[in-house]
Amino acid sequence: MSKLREKILSTASLLFQTQGINATGVDTIVAEAGTTKMTLYKYFNSKELLILEVLKQGHQDFQTWLNDKLSANSKKPSEKLQQLFDYIEEWITSPDFHGIGFMKASAEFPQEDNPVHRLSNEQSLQFLDYIQHLAAEAKIKDAEGLALQLSLLFKGAVQAEQMRRGSDAIKYAKKAAKILIDGALAS
Amino acid sequence: MDIFNSPWLIHMLAKSSKTPQGRLLNLFDILEDWLLAPNLQKTSEFSYQTNPILVNYCTEQARSLGAENPSVLAEHIVLIAHSAALQALEHPSSNSLMHAKKAAEALIQAQTQKAGVYQTLKQTPPITYAITASILIMIGVGAMWLPAVIQTEKTELQRARIAASEAQAAKKTAPENKALTAIEASKMYAKYELMRQGTCQFPEALQIPDKHKAIYLENVVGGKLPADLDDLAIANAYLEKIRCNYTPMLMATSK
Repeated sequence: MSKLREKILSTASLLFQTQGINATGVDTIVAEAGTTKMTLYKYFNSKELLILEVLKQGHQDFQTWLNDKLSANSKKPSEKLQQLFDYIEEWITSPDFHGIGFMKASAEFPQEDNPVHRLSNEQSLQFLDYIQHLAAEAKIKDAEGLALQLSLLFKGAVQAEQMRRGSDAIKYAKKAAKILIDGALAS
Repeated sequence: MDIFNSPWLIHMLAKSSKTPQGRLLNLFDILEDWLLAPNLQKTSEFSYQTNPILVNYCTEQARSLGAENPSVLAEHIVLIAHSAALQALEHPSSNSLMHAKKAAEALIQAQTQKAGVYQTLKQTPPITYAITASILIMIGVGAMWLPAVIQTEKTELQRARIAASEAQAAKKTAPENKALTAIEASKMYAKYELMRQGTCQFPEALQIPDKHKAIYLENVVGGKLPADLDDLAIANAYLEKIRCNYTPMLMATSK
């Protein structure tokens, strides 16, 4: 991937997260990235394609980070599941956290047939699948149900944090997740 | 209709339950009913940003049930309800509102963990509640003869007594009974220690012979101290039969 393309992606990503996707014009992105509109459109045909690329990259980065953390620190599937919210908390409370791409994007593009909305929904489902996969590996009977409960806790905590930095929501989400996971493991 | 900001929702919540916990958790049932109701325009988008009326109402409920941080709890529950309702619209088969309710229940538990027995009692079904509470009281009376019992247990027991007022036991002072010894009291105490960790059930109560019914109702459910050792033996026999499930409360009640 070319350096310039990377630069445009990372600049756009930061601007989308901090100012909002709709509120960020292409002019601002090229000015911040120190390039031209022509170059931007050479790599990304439209603003929409740029948004989609930013979302894909952001989601991939998050999943890779989480997966690496979980595989590096625990071998047992049940431990991975129990540690999930520890890392989510670490990530949400880090100073660089600006929200979750797919959640912000689906809020900004509520029309169901919009490609950005569709991609963010897909990513949300991928994350749900990921949790369900962890739960199934830990031999949880209703892995699907537990995954849904955990993802709702997670999304709620992220939204609370997006509305107000330093909200304690993730702290309680972590405790609640532990209650749900312990309960599911014991049954 | 923006249901999350409607006075109708608050009205439904307010009349849905006598407990603040019930009024919080019924949010999910009411939303589910609303989504299933025929002939309503439900595809209209819910306001994504804030739902101040609902959040304020839920904050009040969270405060009454003793949450550590009522506004965070209320906000989180409303957010969960919101995304579950959206999901229910898009995937009606996902049962998302009922799973959201479980998540909310766990959040309430997470915010009230210090409250211990009292909270646990509030989450159990009424019969369980009466049985457990009455045992706490019987033990509480027994505990008075036990110098080894630590002071903090008593405050919990006192709270439990208040909670058991439905069983009409709280205000009565148990009669002093010299026939009960410290050994009996300590046995009950051990049982109490065990039972407070679980959810207890005794559906066979319906089939108890008539002559034992009074003892069961008064001493096991009602929480009155048995009149003599014979009655205690009968009460204990029933206490023994009560089955307890020691998996965490949430999962035990969710099956």
